[in-house]
Amino acid sequence: MILLPAPTRVLQQILLHRIRYLDRAIELDYQLVEFDDVRYHIQASSSDATSMILSIGLPAPPPEAVLSGGLPFGAIEAVKSVFGPVVQIVDPPEHNFQLTLKLDLSKLPPDEDERAELMIQFACLRAIVLGAPLRDVLKHLAAKVVSPEADRLMPIIHRPRESFFVIPQPDKVTVVIPIRFKDSNDSVLATSFLQEFMEARRAGGLSTAPSCQWSPHPPVELKGAPAHALDANSGFVSFVLLPKHVESEKLDNIVWSLCTFHAYVSYHVKCSKGFMHTRMRRRVETLIQALNRAKPEEEKDGKSTQGRSILRLV
Amino acid sequence: MDATARPAVVIDNGTGYTKMGFAGNVEPCFIVPTVVAVNESFLGQPKGQSKANWAAQHSAGVMADLDFFVGEEALSQSQSSSTYTLSYPIRQGQVENWDTMERFWQQCIFNYLRCDPEDHYFLLTESPLTSPESREYMGEIMFETFNVPGLYIAVQAVLALAAGYTAASQCEMTGVVLDAGDGVTHVVPVADGYVMGSCIKSIPIAGRDLTLFVQQLMRERGENIPSDDSFDIARRVKEAYCYTCADIVKEFGKHDKEPSKYIKQWSGFHTKTGSPYVCEVGYERFLAPEIFFSPEMYSSDFTTPLPDVVDSCIQSAPIDTRRALYKNIVLSGGSTMFKDFQRRLQRDLKKKVDARVQASISRHRLENIQVQAVDVNVVSHPIQRFAVWFGGSVLASTQEYYKACHTKAEYDEYGPSICRTNPVFKGTF
Ligand SMILES: Nc1ncnc2c1ncn2[C@@H]1O[C@H](COP(=O)(O)OP(=O)(O)OP(=O)(O)O)[C@@H](O)[C@H]1O
Ligand SMILES: [Mg+2]
Repeated sequence: MILLPAPTRVLQQILLHRIRYLDRAIELDYQLVEFDDVRYHIQASSSDATSMILSIGLPAPPPEAVLSGGLPFGAIEAVKSVFGPVVQIVDPPEHNFQLTLKLDLSKLPPDEDERAELMIQFACLRAIVLGAPLRDVLKHLAAKVVSPEADRLMPIIHRPRESFFVIPQPDKVTVVIPIRFKDSNDSVLATSFLQEFMEARRAGGLSTAPSCQWSPHPPVELKGAPAHALDANSGFVSFVLLPKHVESEKLDNIVWSLCTFHAYVSYHVKCSKGFMHTRMRRRVETLIQALNRAKPEEEKDGKSTQGRSILRLV
Repeated sequence: MDATARPAVVIDNGTGYTKMGFAGNVEPCFIVPTVVAVNESFLGQPKGQSKANWAAQHSAGVMADLDFFVGEEALSQSQSSSTYTLSYPIRQGQVENWDTMERFWQQCIFNYLRCDPEDHYFLLTESPLTSPESREYMGEIMFETFNVPGLYIAVQAVLALAAGYTAASQCEMTGVVLDAGDGVTHVVPVADGYVMGSCIKSIPIAGRDLTLFVQQLMRERGENIPSDDSFDIARRVKEAYCYTCADIVKEFGKHDKEPSKYIKQWSGFHTKTGSPYVCEVGYERFLAPEIFFSPEMYSSDFTTPLPDVVDSCIQSAPIDTRRALYKNIVLSGGSTMFKDFQRRLQRDLKKKVDARVQASISRHRLENIQVQAVDVNVVSHPIQRFAVWFGGSVLASTQEYYKACHTKAEYDEYGPSICRTNPVFKGTF
């Protein structure tokens, strides 16, 4: 798995299971947390066979965030347009959550594939809600219409108390993502990962991809951003999107990838650490073998390699 | 938000299946086979000095980093292509391959649960005979690779006990846990949350052996099943149709008298060719679980029936705990889910205990003294399959759990040796 897929795996599993037994009432209640502090609560009661409740909680907003009713701009409209009559927005939402949806299972499309498709859309709720403002900007770009937000710095919340920034212009959209890691080792790994990422874009084969820059200092586009947003220990990544990058079916993918770019980097940082540990273990094994070979004959079958530690022996 | 405000991640890694989910839920989010399909081809390349060779190794290495699958996907990948080899990181309840274990965890966290490991405390489980070195290693991976803020490694049996008690809404942690999973079966006496290490009994018969036994019986009878997936079919047949009988001779009689009622049909499709097949399931329905009670049928090395093992385990415990132990024998693990398993174990054990009480009464001529009968109680509950996970979910949602955890700050200060021991705590339910 190289990319993080958009549907939340647990939700998808629960929902697809649910529609397999539509004639029955099934009791379920799950509280889930996803990366970047997105929370879900999915419930169905055994006394009601036709409805399900799905709530989503969003990361705590940073001070610069602009929200309407606790949600990013355009989120409600996006939810309504994707799910139509199947959902009803519960007002007020469940305590500690930002949006609560009531699914009416009796209004699902009759076709089985369409139904499954819709359930997968529910599992992508996070992308629909958090990605709404970015999707709006990119839609304007695709249609080559000047966005109402043109030339302004637009913060989009993606992590607890953190946002990334979008600068819409008539012919392009610049996205700047500050990358922060709590752990100093992670930060170093992320920095070199991002440099490789940028190199890979420069090398052949990817010339149609959006151009990508990494810099340890805030780029000029961020002029006017609040001071705390300019402090990032792993640098800043910027992408420049052109209309051809956001044509119809590419749009959803690009919104998802940008909104979860930090999680993507973090995932690869952890994978690299795991992989380095594998190499270190191999190395320890070969060194131990070499040591064993060097021992005088009679000692050889004495001590084994007990208590070895990958991190201190290397 | 502080990590202690979010639910902890509970992962129970078993020999056969891993159960994972968030604390506070009543069911795990996923139950997946503990298996990793790895592509080892990049390791076989010769080491060379030339730059080109280095580059090839480098790029192969970069890909190898992510070129693997876990769980069901691993099984299907290895069936359809020969570039992947299956690796089972856990054998008999112990982690054997730390490389694949680390990858397995990585996928559990990022692909299945999709959580940020820095945001959650973790509760992992270990079998009762795990060495402190292995706990240290576990801690090292969790804190170094994943930067978890806190970690607690719990003994599976203790968690199973916690699950049994919450079902009965009592709050005491004394009892015997019979944990029969896929790899090994353990009988573990626990007093006040402390495992009596010296009294633990292991039985080399568990789910995998039962599956092998079913497979063997079906093969010997010449059932028409594809040999490629006969192990998998045997497992499904076992889970769907096997049950515990009261008396094996009578059960043979019943099957012979009314074959239409007792013989089941199993039908499926060949995975490779797609052609359908049908086979019959007969005596193996009760013979497979019977090997717990008459192990001599299956193995000549180990012949002590399960009730005798439980009894001798309790007899080896300190005398003042024995009554409490007999009173609370908790079942856990997938292989205790056969119908009437609880009843059979309770009956056989009770018979044994009563016989001993009678014997000692007549030996010491105590006929005139009132001897209080020993209360034998085998507890079964509907969540046996993931009782360990459920117990973990309950314990990890109490405040005491966060206090008992080893934190990242402690790890950075003292190193992995802090993971060697994990303080016992009792959740308040
Ligand atoms: N309904 C069922 N009836 C009988 N056996 C079952 C049933 N469901 C699962 N099993 C068997 O239980 C075993 C898995 O149990 P479990 O998940 O408790 O083991 P584990 O935790 O992976 O292993 P261990 O605890 O030994 O490390 C498998 O052999 C499986 O075939
Ligand atoms: Mg187990």
